[in-house]
Order: sequence, then structure tokens, then C-alpha cells
Amino acid sequence: MIKITNLHARVSSDEGPREILRGLNLEIQPGKVHAIMGPNGSGKSTLSYVLAGREGYEVTEGSVTMDGKDLLDLEPEERAAAGVFLAFQYPVEIPGVNMSTFLKTSLNAIRKQRGKPEMDALALLKLMKAKCKELGISEEMMKRAVNAGFSGGEKKRNEILQMALLEPKFCILDETDSGLDIDALKVVADGVNRLRSPERSFLIITHYQRLLDYIKPDIVHVLAHGQIVRTGGPELALELEEQGYKDFIEAVA
Amino acid sequence: MVKALKALAPDHLPTPKQEEWKYTNLARVLPEALLRQKPETVREVVIHRSRGQNGGQVEDVLWTGFEGAHQQPVLRVTVEEGADLTLIERHVGQGAYWKNMVTDIAVGKNARVHHIRLQEDSPEAVQTNLVKVTVAQDAAYDCFSLNLGGKLTRHEIHAVIEGQGADCRLNGLNLLAGVQHGDTTILIEHLAPHCTSYQFYRSILDDTARGVFQGKVHVHQAAQKTDAYQLSNALLLSPMAEMDTKPELEIYADDVKCSHGATTGPLDEEPLFYLRSRGLSAAEARRLLVQAFVDEVLEKIPDEDTREEARGKADAWLTMRLR
Ligand SMILES: Nc1ncnc2c1ncn2[C@@H]1O[C@H](COP(=O)(O)OP(=O)(O)OP(=O)(O)O)[C@@H](O)[C@H]1O
Ligand SMILES: [Mg+2]
Repeated sequence: MIKITNLHARVSSDEGPREILRGLNLEIQPGKVHAIMGPNGSGKSTLSYVLAGREGYEVTEGSVTMDGKDLLDLEPEERAAAGVFLAFQYPVEIPGVNMSTFLKTSLNAIRKQRGKPEMDALALLKLMKAKCKELGISEEMMKRAVNAGFSGGEKKRNEILQMALLEPKFCILDETDSGLDIDALKVVADGVNRLRSPERSFLIITHYQRLLDYIKPDIVHVLAHGQIVRTGGPELALELEEQGYKDFIEAVA
Repeated sequence: MVKALKALAPDHLPTPKQEEWKYTNLARVLPEALLRQKPETVREVVIHRSRGQNGGQVEDVLWTGFEGAHQQPVLRVTVEEGADLTLIERHVGQGAYWKNMVTDIAVGKNARVHHIRLQEDSPEAVQTNLVKVTVAQDAAYDCFSLNLGGKLTRHEIHAVIEGQGADCRLNGLNLLAGVQHGDTTILIEHLAPHCTSYQFYRSILDDTARGVFQGKVHVHQAAQKTDAYQLSNALLLSPMAEMDTKPELEIYADDVKCSHGATTGPLDEEPLFYLRSRGLSAAEARRLLVQAFVDEVLEKIPDEDTREEARGKADAWLTMRLR
């Protein structure tokens, strides 16, 4: 179970530190899919970075635990090994590092931390091929540098590919749907749905109800001004689609 | 015909007051004793490929420096029309010495020269190397320089592209630490139309090491349709390391394509975090990124065996520096 309690976090900017998350509370039970929606700049990506452990995002108050274990104390790679996976809103291009080297290094680094033996090249190749096929990623892409020159849609699929390979326990998807065409959206949603299991929790950040037609959330939250200002069932997403965030912004401001 | 080159004269050392020596102070690094030492021409190596000799020959030349020596080695290479050559130069040595070298390379019509320098001079050594290359019509010259050694090195290339359709590619990797100083100074002169030149240098600087990259492309009026490209990337592993970059374009032809770029700085935080979020430790992530930085330029070595050899040397350096 993921438990976020009274989380305050700030980012260091050129004008000094700036508080973005202001007392955020959230609990996600195993096997559940939660969606977070909220206006631009409300702190959704900041939350995802804080959970993944990015430098420069400083937690000033509150706690985050996974299965009772403090997450905030861990280095990003330790969180990854513990089962946190962030599908980036803007996946990073890494010229010079090819996809298969990257996936192999990543998978084995995580297996090592989890006390599992390294996967040999052949088994890995087979696994990679199978996952690529599922996600409609051409094998030729495995020879290219990580995200370098990938189209927007290819980058997002690549995030889901990594998620499928690394078998995380807690998946955070930061606007994985934006920039996808309708077919790609289905492929990505299928990829996520295939990973749904009684032990795995999801936090899906999105601006669009459309994604939630394909990935049915259990709970929908609205994030505004660094706080969860409303929580409801899937119908809340429909309501937001119609009415926008006006009420929430005014309510807090 | 090419005028004979002369090595630097010890009694008239260039100083940083001269524009092209602005970043490299030879007098400060050269030991007094070496300056007083009468230069000895250790060796003159002459390599000649006759017309049409294109069997993929390899020449492997070793230059060794000795404690207390002021050497003025000379390398002369002539590759005639349609011939080809792979030239590997190895620089090694022991103790403090000054290798004050000149290199003269003439690439004939439609000829091809791959030139690879593996520079591992001793940590106390000074090497100044003035290279003049002339490239004739439809000929191709490429050079890769791996600079690992020396207390102070200056690799100065003056390439003159004389004939139409010629191609000149200069690449290099500088791996410097401690108090090392590595200077690459390039002048490419485009005299003829429809030629290409390409410069791609990468440097990794640790401790208080200092790198210098000065690259000038001079496109003469006759050299229409020139395509010239220049890129220097420096990665600083320490806040005390320093890189001085000076790109220069001087263009007198109006129908040309010239571009240049330069970056200097530590590893980017974003890819580091991305890799760590995928389970790599900070050290593993750094190593992978630095390796990629190095690999992208090593790829430019055309000969596979030499490329692997250079990669091995770079790997050893990285393993030492990124512990
Ligand atoms: N590194 C940073 N430096 C300065 N300001 C930052 C930094 N990161 C985030 N911010 C600011 O924090 C606020 C929240 O940003 P965040 O990216 O979390 O929003 P978001 O909810 O993900 O928005 P979007 O829907 O546009 O993706 C914004 O005002 C943003 O400008
Ligand atoms: Mg965002």
C-alpha cells in the first residue's frame, strides 16, 4: 500500500525555493488504479518526481511509505528496486546509449538489488522481443539510442515497455496519454491493463477522460494548488471533462 | 609543392601574447634544462605510397621520448594518386622530454589516408606537433587523435584542401587529468569548390586539467559549395577543470554550408536521474553516460582493430577516474 501523508515539497528555482506541494494526502491500496487530474502547474509532475526521488525536489514536511517502509529515505535507484516506476511526462533522450544496452543494464541493476541473478543475454533478448511485440514497438528500435529521435508516441510506448520489463509494484504514469494517436493510446492502455494485478498499484496522471475509458480507474482525484481538493469515483472525471477546473481553482484561491 | 615545415625554435618560443597561443603557455611548462638542450633529430620517418598502391597497407610508427631529451622528430608522408594508407602513430616515453615534432602529409588525387594517433607520452613530457596536410582533388584524409599523455601537448593541424571534391575529417578524444594541458589547434583552408571538412572533438577533463580547442575554417573565395562542420564537446568531471574553446569561421565564398558548435560542462542531471529511476546506481549511471560520450567519437576511427585498441585505453582511463 502507498501512503502519502501531509506532503509538503518545494523546488529550488532561480528565485529561491518555491513550495509546490502543500499538504498532500493520498492512499492507494494494492491492485487499485487511481487517477489524478488537475490544472497545468498544479504540481502533478512535481508529485511524481518527489515520489521517484529527483534531486532538487525537497520534502519539507510529511511522509511517503510503501508497505510501511519509508520511501523518502531511499535513493532513486533504491526506490526503483523497491518497485517504484515513473513513466516520465517527458522521457529523456540519451544519445550514445543504445536501447538494448540500457534495458539490459537497467533490468540487471534492479534484479541485483532484488537479490535475483542477472538475466543472460539470450533470455533477455527473448523477453525484450515479446514485450516489443505486445506494445507494437519495432525491434529495430532496440538498436537506436534511448529516446533519441523517437517520435512523441514512440517515447511514451518506450516508457510502458520499460515498465513491463521492470515489473514494478507502484506505477506512476505522468501524462503517458498526451501526444498519442488513438491507436497508440489503445496499445498503451492495453499494456497498462495487462500489468494490472492484485499486488500492483497505479497512479495515473492525465488531463483527459479518454484515457480513463480504456484504463478504468477505481478512484479519481483532483489536484489543485499542491493539494488533493476532491476525490471521487470514475464519474468525477466525466464531470471535470464537462466543467473544467474553475470551481476548484476558485475554491482554494 | 609544400614548403618544408620547421619545428618550434627553442630560442623563439611563442608566448600567450600571440593570438594562436593565447591559452597555452609553453615557456612556463618547459623545463629550463630542456630549453638549453641542443635539439637532436631523433628520426626522420618517410612513408611513400606510389601511384595506385591501394592494398590497404598499414604503417605503424612508434615515437619514444627519453628523459632529458629535446627531440625533433620528423614524419613525411606522401600518398600518390589513387593510393591508400592507414597510418598509426604511437607516442610513448619516459621522464621529462620535449618532443618537438613536425609532420608533413600529402594526399594525392583520389588517394585515401586514415591517420590514427595514440598519444600516451609520459606525464612529465611536453609534445608540440605541427602537422601540415594537403589534400588533392577527390582525395580523403581523416585523422583521429587520442590524447591521453603528456604534461602539455599541442597538436596543431594545418589542413589545406587544394582540389575539388576532397574530404577532410579531423576527430579526437582528449582524456586529461591532474595538471595535464592538452591543446588542439586546427586551421582548415578550403581552396577548392565542392569539398567537405568535418571536425569532431571530445574532451573529458578531471582534477585541474585544462583543454584547449581552437578550430578555424577558412573558406577562400573559390571554394564554393563548401560543406564545413565543427563540434567540440567537453565534459568536466571536476569543478577545477577548464576548457577553452575558440571556434572561428572565415568565409569569402557565398554559396557554402558552414556550422559549428561547442559545449562545456558537467554531466546533465536529467539523464542521470532517468537512469537512476531505472535502477542504476549513481556511479553506474555516470559511467554509462560518460562511456556513451566517449563511444560516439571513437566510432569515427575507421579501422576496427585500432578502434578497439583505442576503446581499451579509454576504458582503462575511465575506470581509473570514475571509481
Ligand atoms: N525545477 C523547477 N524550477 C522552478 N519551478 C518549478 C520546477 N519544477 C516545477 N516548477 C513549478 O512548479 C509548478 C508545478 O509544476 P508541475 O510540473 O508539477 O505541474 P503539473 O501539474 O505537472 O503541470 P502540467 O499539467 O502542465 O504538466 C509550476 O508552476 C512549475 O513552474
Ligand atoms: Mg506535468
